[in-house]
Amino acid sequence: MGRFERWISGGFRRLFSFNPVLADRLALSGKSLGKIIDLFLATWMGKSGTMIIVAFLAFALGADLFLPYDPSESSSEILEDVSWDHWFGTDQRGRDVFTRTAHGTTASLIIGFVAMAISMILGTVVGLASGYWGGWRDEVIMRVNDVFLSIPWLVLMIVIASIWGSRDLFSIIVVIGITGWSTTARIVRAQVLSIKERQFVERAKAIGSGEWHIIRKHIFPNVVPLIFANAILTVAIAILSESTLSFLGLGPQDVDTWGRILDEANNYSAAIAGPYAFIIMPGLCIVFVILGFTFIGYAMDEVLNPKLRRR
Amino acid sequence: MASFRMVLFKRCMNAFITILLIMALNFALFRIMPGNPAELMQRTPYASDYLIWRNIERMGLNDSLPVQFVEYYKDTFTGDWGISYFWETPVIEVLGSAISWTILLVGISTILIFVIGMALGKLSAQRRGKAPDIVITGFGLFFYGMPVFWFALVLMVIFVGNLHLLPSAGYMESGVPVFPLTVDKLADIGVHMILPLTTLVVGSVAGVVLLMRNSLVDVLTEDYIVTAYAKGLSERQVMKKHASLNARLPIVTTLAMDTAFILGGVFQVEVIFTYKGIGWYTINAIENQDYPMLQFIFFIGGVAVVIANLLADLVLVRLDPRVKIT
Repeated sequence: MGRFERWISGGFRRLFSFNPVLADRLALSGKSLGKIIDLFLATWMGKSGTMIIVAFLAFALGADLFLPYDPSESSSEILEDVSWDHWFGTDQRGRDVFTRTAHGTTASLIIGFVAMAISMILGTVVGLASGYWGGWRDEVIMRVNDVFLSIPWLVLMIVIASIWGSRDLFSIIVVIGITGWSTTARIVRAQVLSIKERQFVERAKAIGSGEWHIIRKHIFPNVVPLIFANAILTVAIAILSESTLSFLGLGPQDVDTWGRILDEANNYSAAIAGPYAFIIMPGLCIVFVILGFTFIGYAMDEVLNPKLRRR
Repeated sequence: MASFRMVLFKRCMNAFITILLIMALNFALFRIMPGNPAELMQRTPYASDYLIWRNIERMGLNDSLPVQFVEYYKDTFTGDWGISYFWETPVIEVLGSAISWTILLVGISTILIFVIGMALGKLSAQRRGKAPDIVITGFGLFFYGMPVFWFALVLMVIFVGNLHLLPSAGYMESGVPVFPLTVDKLADIGVHMILPLTTLVVGSVAGVVLLMRNSLVDVLTEDYIVTAYAKGLSERQVMKKHASLNARLPIVTTLAMDTAFILGGVFQVEVIFTYKGIGWYTINAIENQDYPMLQFIFFIGGVAVVIANLLADLVLVRLDPRVKIT
């Protein structure tokens, strides 16, 4: 946590302090991170989003430390309703649903962040390449991008997941990651197209900077605020994708996730016969985690890209 | 304007190229994955040797890859989409009626999403910062990220599990042929559609509401709105003649982009309510590793979205003269 935060803040300091255009656009000085966080937390979305996600992190960490049950331990009390012993009831094998839900949090967050990282890296590289090169290469990349935008994500994921065969955590993350890059590529490309016409890029070219240098030092830093907000939203989408895949029986088989709990609940027709908590509670967790990341993403977008219209 | 034809041509060309690429991806996906198609077919639990042989023959697996590739395009365009392993009939016959049920569901829900989303978004923007706005945006944000399948289950808990009001499965009473249609049958179809439709509409309307609101809020700050008010037009006239017309533009694009998402939602809804459209057959095909079915569904899904986007582009060019060729 600490390292991650320092990494991000370090990254931001470097990016913003050496980037006059961006600093100007944000009306911020060199030491901007504190201000960004202040601005971010001043929005109600930033505040509540952060609170929700922190609560879920506590939920995930607390699961290992405080809960009396083993998430995989079966018992004879099957499909019981909510009680003081079992806050969310029990499942078809007598496992405590609250414990399973708490442990599922970790899997969801891991899937969300790793899949996001894959999508972001792919999307940024493709977007940078396509926007910077332009011409026929841009045309080709954009057509391929269209394909990924057009295929219903669920169908693509279903097909890949079912043909792939192996259904462990890693392959599901890869499936979600490689189906989610196209929107990012679009956003990055659009931004690159506008930045590469700016004067500071012309100037860099005029003094003989190399392509790689221009992309790395001048274009990429200006794309980062855009993809940063987008990345947080992508985490939400990845978590949603995983739960949908798991619910359809195509999720990871080696970890317990919220979608899988819901799939089991549905298979034992808990929606009609109860216990209703078996369905309601894991689902509510999904809704709130997604809500939390969406809030943070929107708040980030507002703070980092004040002049951009919200999507 | 003369350039409208150019735009039309370019957009159609792009759509066509996209479809060709989708087919290429479809071709590749079923061949580059671990295990060759023949092996995959051997794995399928239901396929008889004869069917496997016919499909291998159809896919031309004994030919070289380039030949297979050309054959695949030829087959797709001539309507030869293979034979389902599980149903043992041509894919198109299995899915023929399923497609119409899915289109019915998608069509009605898209119209409802559009109409309700615009109305609520407008209300929200007009009363910005007041109670209706807060309630509508609040609900919008809450439903925005809600998993469709979970919302369907919650509706099921309420209306089927507790109130016993609505049927939980199927598109109509089973065992009855659809044709000839009678009023009773139509009513039955309607009742069976309530839960799937509600799920889809509530799930997707949130995005349109939020977008319409933000778009309208932006438009309302434009100079021409101030001018319109200054001319002495009533709020209703300004809204109707100036604001909503312009705020509508991004909705068209988004709704088309959302087709992919709505389709994804339809799949989930169909699975939960055993509504035997494309989505239900997809899950069925996965369980039985029915590759010809999957391949066709993949193709048709992509084509549907491409066409939806093309239509939206064209509508947009018509609605907004400022749209340029990109």
